[in-house]
Amino acid sequence: MEEQLLSSESFAPSKPIIEFRGVSKTYPGGTHALKDVNIKINKGEFVFVVGSSGAGKSTFMKLIMREEKANTGIIKVNGFNLTNMKRKQVPLLRRTMGIVFQDFRLIPTMNVFQNVAFAMYVVGETGSHIRREVSKALSKVGLGDKARSMPNQLSGGEQQRVGLARALVNSPDLIIADEPTGNVDPNMSYEIVNMLTEINKQGTTILMVTHDHNLVRDFKHRVIMLDGGMIVADNAGGDAE
Amino acid sequence: MKLGSIKYLTGEGVKSAWVNRLMSLASIGVLVACMVIIGLAILISENVNVAVGKLEQQNVVMVYMKDYSWALYNKQEAETEDTTSKETDSETEKKETDENGIGEDDYLIHNDEEANALCDKIEKLENVSEVEFVSSEEGLKTIKESMLEGQEEYFTFLDEEYGNPLPNAAKVHMKDMAKFDETIKQIKKMDEVSSIQSQDDLAETIAAIKDGIGVAGIWIISILMIIALVIVSNTIRVTMYNRKLDISIMKAVGATDAFVRIPFVVEGVIIGLISAVIAEVLLYFCYRIATETIISALGTSDIVKYGDMAWILLLVFIGIGIIAGVLGSVIIITKYLKHEGSEFSAF
Repeated sequence: MEEQLLSSESFAPSKPIIEFRGVSKTYPGGTHALKDVNIKINKGEFVFVVGSSGAGKSTFMKLIMREEKANTGIIKVNGFNLTNMKRKQVPLLRRTMGIVFQDFRLIPTMNVFQNVAFAMYVVGETGSHIRREVSKALSKVGLGDKARSMPNQLSGGEQQRVGLARALVNSPDLIIADEPTGNVDPNMSYEIVNMLTEINKQGTTILMVTHDHNLVRDFKHRVIMLDGGMIVADNAGGDAE
Repeated sequence: MKLGSIKYLTGEGVKSAWVNRLMSLASIGVLVACMVIIGLAILISENVNVAVGKLEQQNVVMVYMKDYSWALYNKQEAETEDTTSKETDSETEKKETDENGIGEDDYLIHNDEEANALCDKIEKLENVSEVEFVSSEEGLKTIKESMLEGQEEYFTFLDEEYGNPLPNAAKVHMKDMAKFDETIKQIKKMDEVSSIQSQDDLAETIAAIKDGIGVAGIWIISILMIIALVIVSNTIRVTMYNRKLDISIMKAVGATDAFVRIPFVVEGVIIGLISAVIAEVLLYFCYRIATETIISALGTSDIVKYGDMAWILLLVFIGIGIIAGVLGSVIIITKYLKHEGSEFSAF
Protein backbone atom coordinates (compact mmCIF):
# COMPACT_ATOMS: atom_id res chain seq x y z
CA MET A 1 0.00 0.00 0.00
CA GLU A 2 2.83 2.33 0.90
CA GLU A 3 4.39 1.72 -2.50
CA GLN A 4 1.07 2.53 -4.15
CA LEU A 5 0.75 5.76 -2.21
CA LEU A 6 4.23 6.88 -3.21
CA SER A 7 3.35 6.91 -6.89
CA SER A 8 1.65 10.28 -6.67
CA GLU A 9 4.21 12.33 -8.51
CA SER A 10 2.47 14.29 -11.24
CA PHE A 11 3.42 14.05 -14.83
CA ALA A 12 5.06 17.31 -15.87
CA PRO A 13 2.18 19.61 -16.85
CA SER A 14 2.28 21.36 -20.18
CA LYS A 15 -0.51 23.01 -22.21
CA PRO A 16 -4.17 22.81 -21.11
CA ILE A 17 -6.14 19.75 -22.18
CA ILE A 18 -9.28 21.15 -20.53
CA GLU A 19 -10.11 24.83 -20.32
CA PHE A 20 -13.25 26.50 -18.91
CA ARG A 21 -13.68 30.25 -19.36
CA GLY A 22 -16.66 31.91 -17.68
CA VAL A 23 -18.75 28.74 -17.98
CA SER A 24 -22.26 28.68 -16.54
CA LYS A 25 -24.90 26.03 -16.85
CA THR A 26 -28.54 26.38 -15.87
CA TYR A 27 -30.93 23.50 -16.44
CA PRO A 28 -34.41 24.11 -17.91
CA GLY A 29 -35.98 23.77 -14.45
CA GLY A 30 -33.95 26.79 -13.31
CA THR A 31 -31.24 24.94 -11.37
CA HIS A 32 -27.93 26.78 -11.60
CA ALA A 33 -25.53 23.86 -11.79
CA LEU A 34 -22.37 25.82 -12.59
CA LYS A 35 -21.70 29.54 -12.16
CA ASP A 36 -18.94 31.34 -13.98
CA VAL A 37 -16.39 28.54 -13.77
CA ASN A 38 -12.84 29.32 -14.92
CA ILE A 39 -10.30 26.53 -14.84
CA LYS A 40 -7.40 24.98 -16.74
CA ILE A 41 -6.28 21.37 -16.51
CA ASN A 42 -2.98 20.68 -18.19
CA LYS A 43 -2.03 17.70 -20.27
CA GLY A 44 -0.61 14.96 -18.03
CA GLU A 45 -2.24 16.11 -14.79
CA PHE A 46 -4.09 13.88 -12.32
CA VAL A 47 -7.03 15.78 -10.87
CA PHE A 48 -9.52 14.80 -8.21
CA VAL A 49 -12.89 16.55 -8.43
CA VAL A 50 -14.62 16.61 -5.06
CA GLY A 51 -17.73 18.15 -3.62
CA SER A 52 -21.00 17.24 -1.95
CA SER A 53 -24.10 16.07 -3.83
CA GLY A 54 -25.49 18.86 -6.00
CA ALA A 55 -22.19 20.74 -5.96
CA GLY A 56 -21.96 20.60 -9.77
CA LYS A 57 -19.48 17.72 -10.22
CA SER A 58 -21.69 15.76 -12.62
CA THR A 59 -22.46 18.84 -14.69
CA PHE A 60 -18.75 19.68 -14.79
CA MET A 61 -17.99 16.19 -16.17
CA LYS A 62 -20.97 16.20 -18.56
CA LEU A 63 -19.81 19.48 -20.04
CA ILE A 64 -16.34 18.03 -20.64
CA MET A 65 -17.83 14.95 -22.34
CA ARG A 66 -20.19 17.23 -24.28
CA GLU A 67 -23.17 15.44 -22.87
CA GLU A 68 -24.50 18.85 -21.91
CA LYS A 69 -23.97 22.26 -23.46
CA ALA A 70 -22.96 25.29 -21.45
CA ASN A 71 -25.30 28.30 -21.47
CA THR A 72 -22.45 30.76 -21.43
CA GLY A 73 -18.68 30.64 -21.61
CA ILE A 74 -16.09 28.75 -23.60
CA ILE A 75 -15.03 25.14 -23.09
CA LYS A 76 -12.03 23.61 -24.83
CA VAL A 77 -11.19 19.93 -24.47
CA ASN A 78 -8.37 18.11 -26.23
CA GLY A 79 -8.17 20.77 -28.91
CA PHE A 80 -11.92 20.80 -29.55
CA ASN A 81 -13.88 23.96 -28.94
CA LEU A 82 -17.12 22.65 -27.43
CA THR A 83 -18.93 25.98 -27.58
CA ASN A 84 -20.22 25.64 -31.14
CA MET A 85 -19.41 21.99 -31.68
CA LYS A 86 -21.66 20.21 -34.17
CA ARG A 87 -23.41 17.03 -33.11
CA LYS A 88 -21.52 14.90 -35.63
CA GLN A 89 -18.17 16.04 -34.17
CA VAL A 90 -19.03 14.80 -30.68
CA PRO A 91 -17.92 11.18 -31.39
CA LEU A 92 -14.52 12.51 -32.51
CA LEU A 93 -14.14 14.34 -29.18
CA ARG A 94 -15.14 11.25 -27.20
CA ARG A 95 -12.60 9.10 -29.02
CA THR A 96 -9.90 11.20 -27.39
CA MET A 97 -11.13 10.25 -23.92
CA GLY A 98 -11.80 7.09 -21.96
CA ILE A 99 -14.68 6.98 -19.51
CA VAL A 100 -14.84 4.87 -16.37
CA PHE A 101 -18.25 4.56 -14.73
CA GLN A 102 -19.10 4.03 -11.09
CA ASP A 103 -21.45 1.14 -12.01
CA PHE A 104 -18.86 -0.48 -14.36
CA ARG A 105 -21.28 -0.69 -17.32
CA LEU A 106 -20.13 -4.09 -18.52
CA ILE A 107 -22.37 -5.88 -21.00
CA PRO A 108 -23.46 -9.01 -19.12
CA THR A 109 -23.75 -11.17 -22.24
CA MET A 110 -20.16 -10.48 -23.30
CA ASN A 111 -17.04 -11.91 -21.71
CA VAL A 112 -14.19 -9.71 -20.46
CA PHE A 113 -12.34 -9.74 -23.77
CA GLN A 114 -15.50 -8.88 -25.73
CA ASN A 115 -16.42 -6.08 -23.35
CA VAL A 116 -13.07 -4.41 -23.90
CA ALA A 117 -12.98 -5.17 -27.64
CA PHE A 118 -16.45 -3.63 -27.96
CA ALA A 119 -14.94 -0.18 -27.39
CA MET A 120 -12.63 -0.76 -30.35
CA TYR A 121 -15.28 -2.26 -32.65
CA VAL A 122 -17.55 0.74 -32.25
CA VAL A 123 -14.86 3.14 -33.39
CA GLY A 124 -14.27 1.04 -36.49
CA GLU A 125 -11.23 -1.02 -35.48
CA THR A 126 -11.04 -4.61 -36.66
CA GLY A 127 -9.12 -7.87 -36.59
CA SER A 128 -5.70 -8.55 -35.17
CA HIS A 129 -5.20 -4.95 -34.00
CA ILE A 130 -8.14 -5.40 -31.63
CA ARG A 131 -6.80 -8.69 -30.28
CA ARG A 132 -3.38 -7.18 -29.64
CA GLU A 133 -4.62 -3.99 -27.98
CA VAL A 134 -7.24 -5.73 -25.84
CA SER A 135 -4.66 -8.20 -24.53
CA LYS A 136 -2.32 -5.31 -23.75
CA ALA A 137 -5.06 -3.35 -21.90
CA LEU A 138 -6.12 -6.42 -19.89
CA SER A 139 -2.51 -7.08 -18.89
CA LYS A 140 -2.15 -3.46 -17.75
CA VAL A 141 -5.06 -3.89 -15.32
CA GLY A 142 -3.89 -7.34 -14.24
CA LEU A 143 -6.68 -9.32 -15.87
CA GLY A 144 -4.74 -11.07 -18.63
CA ASP A 145 -5.90 -14.46 -17.34
CA LYS A 146 -9.58 -13.48 -17.05
CA ALA A 147 -10.22 -12.68 -20.70
CA ARG A 148 -12.80 -15.47 -21.12
CA SER A 149 -14.60 -14.83 -17.82
CA MET A 150 -18.10 -13.40 -17.82
CA PRO A 151 -18.72 -10.21 -15.79
CA ASN A 152 -20.84 -12.04 -13.21
CA GLN A 153 -17.88 -14.29 -12.44
CA LEU A 154 -15.77 -11.30 -11.37
CA SER A 155 -15.58 -9.32 -8.12
CA GLY A 156 -16.57 -5.63 -8.06
CA GLY A 157 -12.94 -4.59 -8.19
CA GLU A 158 -12.22 -6.87 -11.12
CA GLN A 159 -15.25 -5.58 -12.97
CA GLN A 160 -14.05 -2.03 -12.48
CA ARG A 161 -10.63 -3.02 -13.80
CA VAL A 162 -12.36 -4.35 -16.94
CA GLY A 163 -14.05 -0.94 -17.19
CA LEU A 164 -10.65 0.68 -16.83
CA ALA A 165 -9.19 -1.59 -19.56
CA ARG A 166 -12.08 -0.59 -21.82
CA ALA A 167 -11.35 3.10 -21.17
CA LEU A 168 -7.68 2.54 -21.93
CA VAL A 169 -7.88 0.35 -24.98
CA ASN A 170 -8.26 3.16 -27.51
CA SER A 171 -5.21 4.95 -26.01
CA PRO A 172 -7.04 8.14 -25.01
CA ASP A 173 -5.32 11.38 -24.00
CA LEU A 174 -7.78 11.88 -21.15
CA ILE A 175 -9.49 9.50 -18.77
CA ILE A 176 -12.63 10.63 -17.01
CA ALA A 177 -13.47 8.46 -14.05
CA ASP A 178 -16.83 9.10 -12.43
CA GLU A 179 -16.48 7.77 -8.87
CA PRO A 180 -14.69 4.62 -10.04
CA THR A 181 -14.19 3.47 -6.46
CA GLY A 182 -17.79 4.03 -5.38
CA ASN A 183 -18.79 0.38 -5.69
CA VAL A 184 -15.62 -1.37 -4.58
CA ASP A 185 -14.03 -2.16 -1.23
CA PRO A 186 -11.38 0.21 0.24
CA ASN A 187 -8.41 -1.98 -0.68
CA MET A 188 -9.55 -2.26 -4.24
CA SER A 189 -10.14 1.52 -4.28
CA TYR A 190 -6.46 2.11 -3.60
CA GLU A 191 -5.53 -0.47 -6.24
CA ILE A 192 -7.70 1.26 -8.85
CA VAL A 193 -6.36 4.74 -8.08
CA ASN A 194 -2.86 3.33 -8.12
CA MET A 195 -3.52 1.91 -11.60
CA LEU A 196 -4.85 5.27 -12.72
CA THR A 197 -1.73 6.90 -11.34
CA GLU A 198 0.45 4.46 -13.30
CA ILE A 199 -1.51 5.30 -16.45
CA ASN A 200 -1.08 9.00 -15.62
CA LYS A 201 2.69 8.53 -15.39
CA GLN A 202 2.66 7.45 -19.02
CA GLY A 203 1.19 10.81 -20.01
CA THR A 204 -2.57 10.29 -19.87
CA THR A 205 -4.51 13.04 -18.11
CA ILE A 206 -6.81 11.72 -15.38
CA LEU A 207 -9.89 13.48 -14.10
CA MET A 208 -11.50 11.57 -11.28
CA VAL A 209 -14.65 12.41 -9.33
CA THR A 210 -14.61 10.97 -5.84
CA HIS A 211 -16.25 11.23 -2.45
CA ASP A 212 -13.48 9.29 -0.77
CA HIS A 213 -11.44 11.78 1.30
CA ASN A 214 -8.89 9.12 2.22
CA LEU A 215 -7.95 8.66 -1.42
CA VAL A 216 -7.68 12.40 -1.94
CA ARG A 217 -5.54 12.70 1.16
CA ASP A 218 -3.29 9.74 0.42
CA PHE A 219 -2.67 10.35 -3.28
CA LYS A 220 -1.15 13.78 -3.52
CA HIS A 221 -2.80 15.00 -6.71
CA ARG A 222 -4.45 18.23 -7.66
CA VAL A 223 -7.89 18.64 -6.08
CA ILE A 224 -10.70 20.78 -7.46
CA MET A 225 -13.50 21.32 -4.98
CA LEU A 226 -16.92 22.37 -6.17
CA ASP A 227 -19.72 23.79 -4.05
CA GLY A 228 -22.95 25.41 -5.17
CA GLY A 229 -21.81 25.32 -8.80
CA MET A 230 -18.60 27.20 -8.12
CA ILE A 231 -14.98 26.17 -7.69
CA VAL A 232 -14.30 26.87 -4.01
CA ALA A 233 -10.82 25.31 -3.84
CA ASP A 234 -8.15 24.27 -6.30
CA ASN A 235 -4.64 23.27 -5.28
CA ALA A 236 -3.23 23.70 -8.76
CA GLY A 237 0.56 23.93 -8.52
CA GLY A 238 0.34 22.51 -5.00
CA ASP A 239 -0.39 25.87 -3.34
CA ALA A 240 -3.74 24.91 -1.86
CA GLU A 241 -5.13 21.99 0.10
CA MET B 1 -16.48 2.00 -43.25
CA LYS B 2 -14.18 -1.01 -43.10
CA LEU B 3 -15.37 -4.45 -44.26
CA GLY B 4 -14.67 -5.80 -40.79
CA SER B 5 -16.96 -3.19 -39.24
CA ILE B 6 -19.75 -4.01 -41.70
CA LYS B 7 -19.38 -7.72 -40.85
CA TYR B 8 -19.43 -6.92 -37.16
CA LEU B 9 -22.48 -4.67 -37.39
CA THR B 10 -24.38 -7.12 -39.59
CA GLY B 11 -23.57 -9.88 -37.12
CA GLU B 12 -24.83 -7.70 -34.28
CA GLY B 13 -28.09 -7.12 -36.17
CA VAL B 14 -28.59 -10.84 -36.78
CA LYS B 15 -27.73 -11.63 -33.17
CA SER B 16 -30.13 -8.98 -31.95
CA ALA B 17 -32.98 -10.35 -34.09
CA TRP B 18 -32.27 -13.80 -32.62
CA VAL B 19 -31.95 -12.62 -29.01
CA ASN B 20 -35.31 -10.83 -29.35
CA ARG B 21 -36.78 -13.71 -31.31
CA LEU B 22 -40.19 -13.67 -29.62
CA MET B 23 -40.70 -10.02 -30.46
CA SER B 24 -39.21 -10.57 -33.91
CA LEU B 25 -41.64 -13.47 -34.49
CA ALA B 26 -44.59 -11.32 -33.46
CA SER B 27 -43.48 -8.62 -35.90
CA ILE B 28 -42.95 -11.15 -38.65
CA GLY B 29 -46.48 -12.47 -38.04
CA VAL B 30 -48.07 -9.04 -38.42
CA LEU B 31 -45.86 -8.08 -41.35
CA VAL B 32 -46.73 -11.33 -43.14
CA ALA B 33 -50.44 -10.59 -42.62
CA CYS B 34 -49.97 -7.09 -44.07
CA MET B 35 -48.00 -8.41 -47.03
CA VAL B 36 -50.53 -11.17 -47.76
CA ILE B 37 -53.36 -8.62 -47.76
CA ILE B 38 -51.36 -6.33 -50.04
CA GLY B 39 -50.60 -9.33 -52.29
CA LEU B 40 -54.26 -10.29 -52.39
CA ALA B 41 -55.19 -6.70 -53.28
CA ILE B 42 -52.67 -6.81 -56.13
CA LEU B 43 -53.96 -10.18 -57.36
CA ILE B 44 -57.60 -9.09 -57.14
CA SER B 45 -56.88 -5.86 -58.98
CA GLU B 46 -54.95 -7.78 -61.62
CA ASN B 47 -57.86 -10.19 -62.08
CA VAL B 48 -60.33 -7.30 -62.32
CA ASN B 49 -58.03 -5.60 -64.81
CA VAL B 50 -58.00 -8.73 -66.95
CA ALA B 51 -61.80 -8.94 -66.78
CA VAL B 52 -62.15 -5.25 -67.55
CA GLY B 53 -59.65 -5.61 -70.36
CA LYS B 54 -61.87 -8.25 -71.91
CA LEU B 55 -64.85 -5.93 -71.57
CA GLU B 56 -62.81 -3.18 -73.16
CA GLN B 57 -62.01 -5.42 -76.07
CA GLN B 58 -65.69 -6.12 -76.51
CA ASN B 59 -66.54 -2.43 -76.33
CA VAL B 60 -66.04 -1.79 -80.00
CA VAL B 61 -66.77 1.51 -81.69
CA MET B 62 -68.17 1.26 -85.19
CA VAL B 63 -67.06 4.12 -87.41
CA TYR B 64 -69.15 4.40 -90.60
CA MET B 65 -67.48 5.96 -93.60
CA LYS B 66 -68.70 8.53 -96.11
CA ASP B 67 -68.88 5.80 -98.65
CA TYR B 68 -69.73 6.52 -102.29
CA SER B 69 -71.28 3.08 -102.87
CA TRP B 70 -73.60 3.83 -99.99
CA ALA B 71 -74.43 7.18 -101.60
CA LEU B 72 -75.29 5.35 -104.81
CA TYR B 73 -77.57 3.07 -102.79
CA ASN B 74 -79.35 6.07 -101.32
CA LYS B 75 -79.69 7.65 -104.73
CA GLN B 76 -81.08 4.46 -106.22
CA GLU B 77 -83.59 4.23 -103.41
CA ALA B 78 -84.65 7.81 -104.06
CA GLU B 79 -85.08 7.09 -107.79
CA THR B 80 -87.28 4.06 -107.05
CA GLU B 81 -89.47 6.11 -104.81
CA ASP B 82 -89.71 8.73 -107.57
CA THR B 83 -90.82 6.22 -110.16
CA THR B 84 -93.51 4.74 -107.96
CA SER B 85 -94.85 8.13 -107.03
CA LYS B 86 -94.60 9.19 -110.68
CA GLU B 87 -92.99 12.44 -109.89
CA THR B 88 -91.17 14.37 -112.62
CA ASP B 89 -87.88 12.93 -114.02
CA SER B 90 -86.33 16.33 -114.09
CA GLU B 91 -86.61 16.51 -110.34
CA THR B 92 -84.67 13.20 -109.93
CA GLU B 93 -81.98 14.27 -112.32
CA LYS B 94 -81.59 17.50 -110.45
CA LYS B 95 -80.97 15.59 -107.19
CA GLU B 96 -77.27 16.04 -106.71
CA THR B 97 -77.28 15.62 -102.97
CA ASP B 98 -78.51 12.86 -100.62
CA GLU B 99 -81.05 13.31 -97.90
CA ASN B 100 -78.32 14.75 -95.65
CA GLY B 101 -77.49 17.41 -98.20
CA ILE B 102 -74.14 15.85 -99.06
CA GLY B 103 -73.18 15.74 -102.70
CA GLU B 104 -71.53 12.80 -104.50
CA ASP B 105 -68.25 14.62 -104.57
CA ASP B 106 -68.34 14.85 -100.80
CA TYR B 107 -68.19 11.08 -100.43
CA LEU B 108 -64.51 10.59 -99.83
CA ILE B 109 -64.39 6.81 -99.76
CA HIS B 110 -64.74 5.37 -103.23
CA ASN B 111 -62.87 2.12 -102.94
CA ASP B 112 -61.22 -0.31 -100.48
CA GLU B 113 -57.90 1.48 -100.79
CA GLU B 114 -59.37 4.72 -99.49
CA ALA B 115 -61.25 2.81 -96.78
CA ASN B 116 -58.04 1.16 -95.62
CA ALA B 117 -56.30 4.55 -95.64
CA LEU B 118 -58.96 5.84 -93.26
CA CYS B 119 -58.45 2.79 -91.04
CA ASP B 120 -54.72 3.53 -90.92
CA LYS B 121 -55.47 7.18 -90.08
CA ILE B 122 -57.70 6.13 -87.16
CA GLU B 123 -55.16 3.56 -85.97
CA LYS B 124 -52.57 6.33 -85.66
CA LEU B 125 -54.60 7.99 -82.90
CA GLU B 126 -52.88 7.64 -79.52
CA ASN B 127 -55.68 5.83 -77.72
CA VAL B 128 -56.55 3.42 -80.53
CA SER B 129 -55.19 -0.07 -80.12
CA GLU B 130 -56.64 -1.79 -83.17
CA VAL B 131 -58.74 -0.98 -86.25
CA GLU B 132 -60.44 -3.58 -88.41
CA PHE B 133 -61.88 -2.72 -91.78
CA VAL B 134 -65.43 -4.04 -92.12
CA SER B 135 -66.65 -3.87 -95.69
CA SER B 136 -70.32 -3.21 -96.30
CA GLU B 137 -70.73 -6.86 -97.41
CA GLU B 138 -69.13 -8.18 -94.22
CA GLY B 139 -71.25 -5.79 -92.17
CA LEU B 140 -74.46 -7.03 -93.77
CA LYS B 141 -73.38 -10.64 -93.28
CA THR B 142 -72.70 -10.03 -89.59
CA ILE B 143 -76.05 -8.33 -89.10
CA LYS B 144 -77.87 -11.19 -90.81
CA GLU B 145 -76.06 -13.71 -88.63
CA SER B 146 -77.00 -11.85 -85.50
CA MET B 147 -80.70 -11.74 -86.44
CA LEU B 148 -83.25 -14.18 -85.14
CA GLU B 149 -84.67 -16.68 -87.59
CA GLY B 150 -86.94 -14.93 -90.08
CA GLN B 151 -85.73 -11.45 -89.29
CA GLU B 152 -82.71 -11.67 -91.56
CA GLU B 153 -85.10 -12.01 -94.53
CA TYR B 154 -85.79 -8.30 -94.35
CA PHE B 155 -82.12 -7.54 -94.96
CA THR B 156 -81.94 -10.19 -97.70
CA PHE B 157 -84.91 -8.54 -99.32
CA LEU B 158 -83.37 -5.08 -99.04
CA ASP B 159 -80.09 -6.32 -100.43
CA GLU B 160 -81.70 -8.09 -103.36
CA GLU B 161 -84.05 -5.26 -104.23
CA TYR B 162 -81.96 -2.20 -103.57
CA GLY B 163 -78.45 -3.36 -102.86
CA ASN B 164 -76.51 -3.38 -99.60
CA PRO B 165 -77.84 -0.66 -97.28
CA LEU B 166 -74.65 -0.54 -95.15
CA PRO B 167 -71.63 1.67 -95.77
CA ASN B 168 -68.06 0.49 -95.27
CA ALA B 169 -67.04 0.74 -91.64
CA ALA B 170 -64.09 0.53 -89.28
CA LYS B 171 -64.24 -1.47 -86.07
CA VAL B 172 -62.16 0.52 -83.54
CA HIS B 173 -60.72 -0.86 -80.29
CA MET B 174 -59.48 1.61 -77.68
CA LYS B 175 -56.64 1.30 -75.20
CA ASP B 176 -58.03 3.35 -72.35
CA MET B 177 -61.70 3.83 -71.77
CA ALA B 178 -61.01 6.90 -69.64
CA LYS B 179 -60.07 8.70 -72.89
CA PHE B 180 -63.12 7.39 -74.71
CA ASP B 181 -64.88 10.75 -75.32
CA GLU B 182 -61.70 12.48 -76.38
CA THR B 183 -60.94 9.74 -78.93
CA ILE B 184 -64.49 9.76 -80.28
CA LYS B 185 -64.18 13.53 -80.85
CA GLN B 186 -60.91 13.03 -82.74
CA ILE B 187 -62.51 10.41 -84.99
CA LYS B 188 -65.60 12.56 -85.59
CA LYS B 189 -63.40 15.40 -86.81
CA MET B 190 -62.19 13.27 -89.72
CA ASP B 191 -63.88 14.30 -92.98
CA GLU B 192 -64.22 10.70 -94.22
CA VAL B 193 -66.32 9.69 -91.20
CA SER B 194 -70.05 9.69 -91.62
CA SER B 195 -71.24 8.52 -88.20
CA ILE B 196 -70.15 6.64 -85.11
CA GLN B 197 -71.93 3.94 -83.17
CA SER B 198 -70.68 3.32 -79.63
CA GLN B 199 -71.68 2.18 -76.15
CA ASP B 200 -70.88 5.28 -74.11
CA ASP B 201 -72.32 3.86 -70.87
CA LEU B 202 -70.14 0.76 -70.94
CA ALA B 203 -67.07 2.88 -71.57
CA GLU B 204 -67.91 5.05 -68.57
CA THR B 205 -68.49 2.01 -66.37
CA ILE B 206 -65.18 0.45 -67.39
CA ALA B 207 -63.32 3.69 -66.72
CA ALA B 208 -65.02 4.02 -63.31
CA ILE B 209 -64.13 0.41 -62.34
CA LYS B 210 -60.50 0.97 -63.28
CA ASP B 211 -60.32 4.23 -61.35
CA GLY B 212 -62.01 2.64 -58.33
CA ILE B 213 -59.57 -0.26 -58.28
CA GLY B 214 -56.63 2.13 -58.55
CA VAL B 215 -57.82 4.33 -55.66
CA ALA B 216 -58.74 1.35 -53.44
CA GLY B 217 -55.35 -0.24 -54.15
CA ILE B 218 -53.47 2.90 -53.15
CA TRP B 219 -55.46 3.20 -49.91
CA ILE B 220 -55.01 -0.46 -48.98
CA ILE B 221 -51.28 -0.38 -49.66
CA SER B 222 -50.80 2.96 -47.84
CA ILE B 223 -52.69 1.87 -44.72
CA LEU B 224 -50.91 -1.48 -44.55
CA MET B 225 -47.53 0.15 -45.12
CA ILE B 226 -48.18 2.41 -42.13
CA ILE B 227 -49.16 -0.64 -40.05
CA ALA B 228 -45.97 -2.42 -41.18
CA LEU B 229 -43.88 0.59 -40.22
CA VAL B 230 -45.47 0.85 -36.77
CA ILE B 231 -44.95 -2.87 -36.14
CA VAL B 232 -41.28 -2.88 -37.12
CA SER B 233 -40.73 0.35 -35.15
CA ASN B 234 -42.18 -1.23 -32.02
CA THR B 235 -39.95 -4.28 -32.29
CA ILE B 236 -36.91 -2.09 -32.79
CA ARG B 237 -38.00 0.08 -29.86
CA VAL B 238 -38.04 -2.98 -27.59
CA THR B 239 -34.63 -4.10 -28.89
CA MET B 240 -33.32 -0.60 -28.39
CA TYR B 241 -34.41 -0.44 -24.75
CA ASN B 242 -32.93 -3.89 -24.22
CA ARG B 243 -29.68 -2.57 -25.62
CA LYS B 244 -29.69 0.73 -23.77
CA LEU B 245 -26.53 -0.26 -21.96
CA ASP B 246 -24.74 -1.10 -25.21
CA ILE B 247 -25.85 2.18 -26.74
CA SER B 248 -24.66 4.19 -23.74
CA ILE B 249 -21.23 2.54 -23.96
CA MET B 250 -21.11 3.02 -27.72
CA LYS B 251 -21.85 6.72 -27.29
CA ALA B 252 -19.30 7.03 -24.47
CA VAL B 253 -16.46 5.59 -26.53
CA GLY B 254 -17.27 7.73 -29.56
CA ALA B 255 -19.44 5.65 -31.86
CA THR B 256 -21.16 7.73 -34.51
CA ASP B 257 -24.96 7.79 -34.72
CA ALA B 258 -24.75 5.87 -38.01
CA PHE B 259 -22.69 3.13 -36.34
CA VAL B 260 -25.19 2.83 -33.49
CA ARG B 261 -28.05 2.73 -35.98
CA ILE B 262 -26.76 0.01 -38.33
CA PRO B 263 -27.41 -3.12 -36.20
CA PHE B 264 -30.99 -1.95 -35.64
CA VAL B 265 -31.48 -1.33 -39.35
CA VAL B 266 -30.03 -4.78 -40.09
CA GLU B 267 -32.46 -6.29 -37.58
CA GLY B 268 -35.38 -4.44 -39.19
CA VAL B 269 -34.35 -5.55 -42.67
CA ILE B 270 -33.95 -9.18 -41.53
CA ILE B 271 -37.48 -9.11 -40.10
CA GLY B 272 -38.75 -7.55 -43.34
CA LEU B 273 -37.01 -10.08 -45.60
CA ILE B 274 -38.10 -13.13 -43.62
CA SER B 275 -41.65 -11.78 -43.68
CA ALA B 276 -41.45 -11.30 -47.47
CA VAL B 277 -40.46 -14.91 -48.10
CA ILE B 278 -43.11 -16.31 -45.74
CA ALA B 279 -45.78 -14.02 -47.27
CA GLU B 280 -44.88 -15.20 -50.78
CA VAL B 281 -45.23 -18.88 -49.85
CA LEU B 282 -48.40 -18.33 -47.82
CA LEU B 283 -50.04 -16.25 -50.54
CA TYR B 284 -49.24 -18.91 -53.13
CA PHE B 285 -51.17 -21.53 -51.17
CA CYS B 286 -54.04 -19.16 -50.30
CA TYR B 287 -54.39 -18.07 -53.92
CA ARG B 288 -54.21 -21.63 -55.19
CA ILE B 289 -57.03 -22.73 -52.90
CA ALA B 290 -59.10 -19.64 -53.78
CA THR B 291 -58.66 -20.02 -57.54
CA GLU B 292 -59.41 -23.76 -57.48
CA THR B 293 -62.64 -23.00 -55.63
CA ILE B 294 -63.61 -20.22 -58.03
CA ILE B 295 -62.79 -22.27 -61.11
CA SER B 296 -64.83 -25.22 -59.91
CA ALA B 297 -67.76 -23.00 -58.83
CA LEU B 298 -67.91 -20.65 -61.82
CA GLY B 299 -66.30 -22.79 -64.45
CA THR B 300 -64.25 -19.86 -65.64
CA SER B 301 -60.61 -20.10 -66.56
CA ASP B 302 -60.03 -16.37 -66.98
CA ILE B 303 -58.05 -16.11 -63.73
CA VAL B 304 -54.53 -14.74 -63.45
CA LYS B 305 -52.00 -17.50 -62.72
CA TYR B 306 -49.89 -17.05 -59.59
CA GLY B 307 -46.79 -17.99 -61.56
CA ASP B 308 -47.28 -14.92 -63.78
CA MET B 309 -47.28 -12.66 -60.73
CA ALA B 310 -44.87 -14.53 -58.42
CA TRP B 311 -41.75 -12.44 -59.14
CA ILE B 312 -43.61 -9.14 -59.04
CA LEU B 313 -45.21 -10.08 -55.72
CA LEU B 314 -41.90 -11.23 -54.26
CA LEU B 315 -40.28 -7.97 -55.31
CA VAL B 316 -43.17 -5.98 -53.83
CA PHE B 317 -42.90 -7.91 -50.54
CA ILE B 318 -39.13 -7.50 -50.39
CA GLY B 319 -39.59 -3.81 -51.12
CA ILE B 320 -42.17 -3.46 -48.36
CA GLY B 321 -39.95 -5.46 -45.98
CA ILE B 322 -36.88 -3.37 -46.66
CA ILE B 323 -38.73 -0.04 -46.55
CA ALA B 324 -40.54 -0.98 -43.32
CA GLY B 325 -37.32 -2.36 -41.80
CA VAL B 326 -35.11 0.57 -42.69
CA LEU B 327 -37.62 3.35 -42.05
CA GLY B 328 -39.07 1.78 -38.91
CA SER B 329 -35.67 1.35 -37.30
CA VAL B 330 -34.17 4.64 -38.49
CA ILE B 331 -37.13 6.67 -37.21
CA ILE B 332 -37.04 5.06 -33.77
CA ILE B 333 -33.29 5.03 -33.22
CA THR B 334 -32.84 8.58 -34.54
CA LYS B 335 -35.53 9.79 -32.18
CA TYR B 336 -33.88 7.93 -29.31
CA LEU B 337 -30.39 9.19 -30.05
CA LYS B 338 -31.64 12.75 -30.35
CA HIS B 339 -33.49 12.77 -27.05
CA GLU B 340 -31.92 10.18 -24.77
CA GLY B 341 -29.06 8.40 -26.47
CA SER B 342 -26.38 10.94 -25.66
CA GLU B 343 -27.04 10.82 -21.92
CA PHE B 344 -24.76 7.89 -21.32
CA SER B 345 -23.55 8.98 -17.92
CA ALA B 346 -27.11 9.32 -16.57
CA PHE B 347 -27.97 5.83 -17.75
